[in-house]
Amino acid sequence: MIEEIRKTVAERLNELDGVVALRRTNGSVAPYVFQKGDDLSELEITPKYPLMTVVSRLHKLFPTIRLGIVARGCDERAYVEMAKRNQIDPDRLFILGLACTAEEAQACYCGDPAPQHLVVGTKPAAGPPNPLVAKYDSMPLPERRAFWKQQFAKCIKCYGCRNICPECFCEACGMEDAAWVEPGLLAPIFPTFHLIRALHMASRCVACRECENTCPAHIPLTVLYDLMRRDMGDLMGYVPGADLKAQPPLSLTLEQAPLRQEAGH
Amino acid sequence: MGVEFEPRIVAFMCNWCTYAGADNAGVARLESPSNILPIRVMCSGRISPEMVLRAFRAGADGVLVMGCHLGDCHYSAGNHRTVKRMPLLQNLLGYVGVNPERLERVWVSASEAPRFVEVTKAFTDKIRQLGPLAQEVTE
Repeated sequence: MIEEIRKTVAERLNELDGVVALRRTNGSVAPYVFQKGDDLSELEITPKYPLMTVVSRLHKLFPTIRLGIVARGCDERAYVEMAKRNQIDPDRLFILGLACTAEEAQACYCGDPAPQHLVVGTKPAAGPPNPLVAKYDSMPLPERRAFWKQQFAKCIKCYGCRNICPECFCEACGMEDAAWVEPGLLAPIFPTFHLIRALHMASRCVACRECENTCPAHIPLTVLYDLMRRDMGDLMGYVPGADLKAQPPLSLTLEQAPLRQEAGH
Repeated sequence: MGVEFEPRIVAFMCNWCTYAGADNAGVARLESPSNILPIRVMCSGRISPEMVLRAFRAGADGVLVMGCHLGDCHYSAGNHRTVKRMPLLQNLLGYVGVNPERLERVWVSASEAPRFVEVTKAFTDKIRQLGPLAQEVTE
């Protein structure tokens, strides 16, 4: 499979300024922009890494650059949400879709383990939903509270969840604003830090699980984000990452994006 | 609890409808609960979830988010944001184990002074039943 990708990247480099992918050098793997003439045998596809952030940065730095990217399903979903919010220029990006393996899909609880622009590999069966979601969903309030308090108490406020997130691109972050989160307090006071992020993720989270993978305190963040994603679907019929044309409903009027459930009075 | 618990309630009110409604309730000498701490904002669409969370963190036992009825918004669609945002926040509070009923979104127009009193009374009673939030959050 990897040879196929290297071949396709080599072909695409004839017309593109560069292709964003992972590269192995000195025994470690990191994001890299492959250009014509680079040694493509160094191109890697594992481990999974949110490469769309790199594309976004390059698109902003070089306003005419045309890039390709070796993208997994979650990368493509991240692209969809970022392009809607003007973080990536769709006209200057070629997606070289790569299907995840069945094991990867399972490990990520991934519901959609292959991009729509699939070039290499075949789409495996979707992973199972995160069992923690169902478990905590059925817990009574005091138990949920006890669980999350224990989880949030582990937070060292490293901002790793935000920094790795392809959808966290705001220049001013609410989690760094002293009005909403007191500076210098560890762990952040409940209920602020994590809830702010969870709400901001509602119409953005593409379930790439990078925040949870990167969290040094092993807080099961994606349980909350999965629940928010579910609510966005139930309340507004919006699935982040699914459709480039669907606008995020939270900033639209009810006429443009109605609520599915009764709004009350 | 031996001592009677009196809840602290932060009520965000939009300038054009609910705040005027509350004002009219005062002018009409209708009695509304003194537990309510009003915060006037220009539009209920201005009330970000962060503001609600901060109110809870600052010691509110309940938060009311109040604005114009749908269709009556001074800015035509400001409250459309409120109506979409608040259910998400309510659900999220529930997911982390805070009773979602501690947050309520209500529409009260400028001419609904009696309704303002009714709503604030009912909400205060409900929060009084639920007890202090601090008790929930710190076991």
